[in-house]
Amino acid sequence: MSRRTLVVGEVRQGHLADVSLEAAGRAIELTEPTAVVGFVAGSGAEAAAGEFARVGIADVRWTDAGSGSDASAGRIAPTVAALAREIEADLVIVGGTTFGRDLAGALAIRWDAVSATGVTDVRREAGAIHVRRPVFGGRATETRRLAGPRVVLALRPHAFAVPSVTPTTVRTSGFAFVEPAPSWREAKLLALEPAAAGGGPALADASIVVSGGRGVRAPENFRLVEELAASLGAAVGASRAVTDAGWRPGTFQVGQTGKAVSPQLYIAVGISGAIQHLVGMVSSRVIVAINSDPSAPIFRVADYGIVGDLFQIVPALTAEIRRVRGP
Amino acid sequence: MEIVVCVKPVPEAETRLRVAADGARLDAEGVKFVLAGYDESAVEQALLLKEAVAGSTVHAIALGPAPRTEEVLRAAVALGCDKASWIEVPSGGSDDPLDAARILAAAIRGLPHDLVLCGKQAGDDESGLVAGALAEALGVPGFGYVVDLRWDAARSRFTFHRAVESGQESWECPGPIVIGLQQAWNDPRTAKLPAILKSRKATITKIAASGAAASVATPEKFELPAPRTGAKMIEYRTPQEAAEKLVRILREDAKVFP
Amino acid sequence: MPEFSLTPDQESLRDLARKFARTEMAPHAAECDRTARFPEEIYRKAYDLGLMNLNVPTEFGGSGLGLFEQCLIVEELAYGCAGMTTSIIANCLALEPILLGGSPEQRRRFLTPFCASYQLASFALTEPSGGSDAGAIRTRARRDGDAYVLEGEKCFITNAPHASLYTVFATVDPERKHKGIAAFVVPRSAKGVSPGKDEEKMGHRASSTGTVRFEGVRVPAEDRLGEEGDGFSIAMRTLDQTRTPIGALATGIAQAALDLAAAYSLKRETFGKPISEHQAIQIKLANMAQAVHAARLLTWHAAWTIDHGGKGTLESSIAKCFASDAALDVADEAIQTFGGYGYMKEYPVEKLLRDAKLTQIYEGANEIQRTVIARELLRAYQ
Ligand SMILES: Cc1cc2nc3c(=O)[nH]c(=O)nc-3n(C[C@H](O)[C@H](O)[C@H](O)COP(=O)(O)OP(=O)(O)OC[C@H]3O[C@@H](n4cnc5c(N)ncnc54)[C@H](O)[C@@H]3O)c2cc1C
Ligand SMILES: Cc1cc2nc3c(=O)[nH]c(=O)nc-3n(C[C@H](O)[C@H](O)[C@H](O)COP(=O)(O)OP(=O)(O)OC[C@H]3O[C@@H](n4cnc5c(N)ncnc54)[C@H](O)[C@@H]3O)c2cc1C
Repeated sequence: MSRRTLVVGEVRQGHLADVSLEAAGRAIELTEPTAVVGFVAGSGAEAAAGEFARVGIADVRWTDAGSGSDASAGRIAPTVAALAREIEADLVIVGGTTFGRDLAGALAIRWDAVSATGVTDVRREAGAIHVRRPVFGGRATETRRLAGPRVVLALRPHAFAVPSVTPTTVRTSGFAFVEPAPSWREAKLLALEPAAAGGGPALADASIVVSGGRGVRAPENFRLVEELAASLGAAVGASRAVTDAGWRPGTFQVGQTGKAVSPQLYIAVGISGAIQHLVGMVSSRVIVAINSDPSAPIFRVADYGIVGDLFQIVPALTAEIRRVRGP
Repeated sequence: MEIVVCVKPVPEAETRLRVAADGARLDAEGVKFVLAGYDESAVEQALLLKEAVAGSTVHAIALGPAPRTEEVLRAAVALGCDKASWIEVPSGGSDDPLDAARILAAAIRGLPHDLVLCGKQAGDDESGLVAGALAEALGVPGFGYVVDLRWDAARSRFTFHRAVESGQESWECPGPIVIGLQQAWNDPRTAKLPAILKSRKATITKIAASGAAASVATPEKFELPAPRTGAKMIEYRTPQEAAEKLVRILREDAKVFP
Repeated sequence: MPEFSLTPDQESLRDLARKFARTEMAPHAAECDRTARFPEEIYRKAYDLGLMNLNVPTEFGGSGLGLFEQCLIVEELAYGCAGMTTSIIANCLALEPILLGGSPEQRRRFLTPFCASYQLASFALTEPSGGSDAGAIRTRARRDGDAYVLEGEKCFITNAPHASLYTVFATVDPERKHKGIAAFVVPRSAKGVSPGKDEEKMGHRASSTGTVRFEGVRVPAEDRLGEEGDGFSIAMRTLDQTRTPIGALATGIAQAALDLAAAYSLKRETFGKPISEHQAIQIKLANMAQAVHAARLLTWHAAWTIDHGGKGTLESSIAKCFASDAALDVADEAIQTFGGYGYMKEYPVEKLLRDAKLTQIYEGANEIQRTVIARELLRAYQ
């Protein structure tokens, strides 16, 4: 019998988090769907357990993590280890959130496994798991071979798509909570304040940046750029043409005499790509340029280009992103 | 309060990354290794707590080869750590963070500790595994991504916050605990010249490495991003089609958002 | 045998200065240059970190470094901003006469309280009537009982408007030329001391330079350094010590210019390729690199010679003169590499040229350095 893969889910606002579905998708590709087991812990676990059906996982276990207490990673690691042993898993996959990365470290010790976090690619080959993961702040990528009999992977959030499969019927069953070290009893989660609405991330450490240039033509049109940024949870940047004209303050300027950024995704809207702008953003992982001039130098450094009128393209793009990501 | 702070020598931020001849790892030739990033914040936080809680000591501990590991420990002492211990392992050995956590745990077990601090992730491999692994190995609660770590003396508890995807958690927990620190109260301080000179003469205690299994994680490839060759142009008839195509590419090929 | 690698101790001092220069100084360099602002908060931080009174022994509260370590630090600081560096190291220049000419009692009395907090001192030698000819200074010191009365004016004095202490060179008898010069320690608070306002300068605009007038200033005889005729020798021996760090300061400017030019040449494209692939630019960069290396090694050698008990007059003059000429050339070529952008104030290279220029003038103009070099050189052939 082939070994099984355990997917540890995370419950957010009563539902299984997207990252957990992404993890499930990877698990199914690496293992036969029938050999994948889902797991969730904490309050609302039983209800959320059923949502594994969406990605085709039929066998799901849940625990309430000891009544009244939270399901923080360190507290449930012993339970996850016990379940992994019981189902004879050789692989545990989790979304690489705060929870997922904390769990990976604790579980790897508890279950005597090898682990990798921030994984953006994974394959099984010749009896070993091979993972790719960005290192050095995205300035390099490493591939590692994990030859353990037991492997724990925390996937980089949103590096993988949520699979689209025909839902199955799910069989959920409770799993006995295994008490962690006694000192956990006094660790108390006092409150969870929801993230503040609005107010995008800071330019310098945003994982997505949308910048606008002179092509937006007037300060009031800059709203188009800001709406696109909001749809992506991105920070807003600008070329010097924009900051010089006073359409946006100097703190928005990207480039040689502005800020240097290297996000996962940089979208340049109506920016020609002068060298002074480029030096501030060429190290971004993926660059998208939207410009009406096909010979604009920005297209030489971009990965993807759309030649066209930003006043048509940008609203369409914002609408499409809102459609796929939900409002 | 007995504070143990784990530090790791990592290439300084300005390092031009190069691939080693075996293609599997960073070429460390000529690379300068420093105390940096979240580890620097962990040291800062340790010193701030020491200043806030009378009678505390901060013990810096590091694992790695000579001379870089000794250098980061001296840097920690120059910043104000009271003691420094070095677990020397040969260069070119295992770079698996879990091995590091197992060895560190074995050493820390023998030291007084109310609080074990480390950076939330190392500046090079960015694994973020050590805090959780150390906590489990030491049998105490452990938390990563922590900010605003304080000691509530009246109630003999640490209090802290941490950023999770859905917001910010507030916690309290008595020691001993392990904390993977995201941010200290302050920007990390700079060591003063006299302290630097004094740290050169400080005693660095050596601890023998124990506790690691033979690592089963091996580096296979280390790659730098390819130079850019020009954009792939998106063909379309309507703006909607352009938007759909781009979003599909970004999600499925470039994988930059869900 | 020569040893060209730094010890771990030296590396850690250099790293401290490098970090300070790049995170605290450089970000404010352009603004202070534009507005001629004297960034006292940065100087205060430099003091707090121990980067200010580098040459003062630790027993008096200084950093107690040898000249070689001072040079490592000064080069790094100048890479961040040469003007700020001039103000940061002015204390070394001003306090050196006390170290060289002061009695043990004077050293303790002046240096210990001075170094205990952030304070600035100025070395007041140059006068409106002449700087190079230090033997011809006109500021008078008239004996009056157990004190001297100072009368005269000094100009181009670094940090003068902000200093709390001056080391002042004055003549007790102009007829006796350099044999009549005496050195005094004068607090800013003494009656009759009046610093003038900041001069508008071409470069080093984050530094402050000004006049100081002495009008009937009574200085107790116990505040005279050495004997009455020792002043000239104290001044010259001071400059023998501080000239080498000026070589290091110039090297820092040159290194900054080379780094900016090389990085820019890889990005700027003309005729379909980066300008770094045009041979004319490669030759420029190669020549700049040679000048920077030579300047650094000459500076290190001069510092090493003095640290090992040598007088170092020849070596330090060669180092200061060569490095300052190199800094001007390298900054000039950096501007050329940048083309029109290099000429624009928004880019950082034109400042380097303006800053480099001063290193040929102060602490002994290069003409004087060449005179000294020739004199020392010819002595060997006579
Ligand atoms: C000393 C100096 C320092 C500088 N530092 C910086 C810096 O730090 N950062 C910086 O950004 N710049 C800097 N610059 C300025 C830089 O050289 C450019 O002038 C600037 O980046 C141009 O901004 P832009 O691309 O928005 O404007 P433009 O170059 O005018 O480009 C506008 C672009 O919008 C496109 N466009 C117009 N209408 C539309 C439409 N309807 N739909 C789609 N596209 C459209 C056009 O095709 C064009 O490519 C500096 C310049 C100097 C001289
Ligand atoms: C920004 C700044 C900061 C300064 N800081 C200080 C300070 O802190 N303390 C202080 O005491 N001084 C300071 N100085 C003064 C500086 O040391 C003098 O400017 C320098 O020594 C030259 O003197 P001078 O300006 O009077 O020129 P002069 O002596 O008038 O010389 C004019 C020119 O003639 C040349 N020359 C003179 N004599 C000869 C000769 N015999 N043979 C060949 N050529 C000769 C010189 O090299 C120069 O090119 C500073 C100057 C500046 C500009």
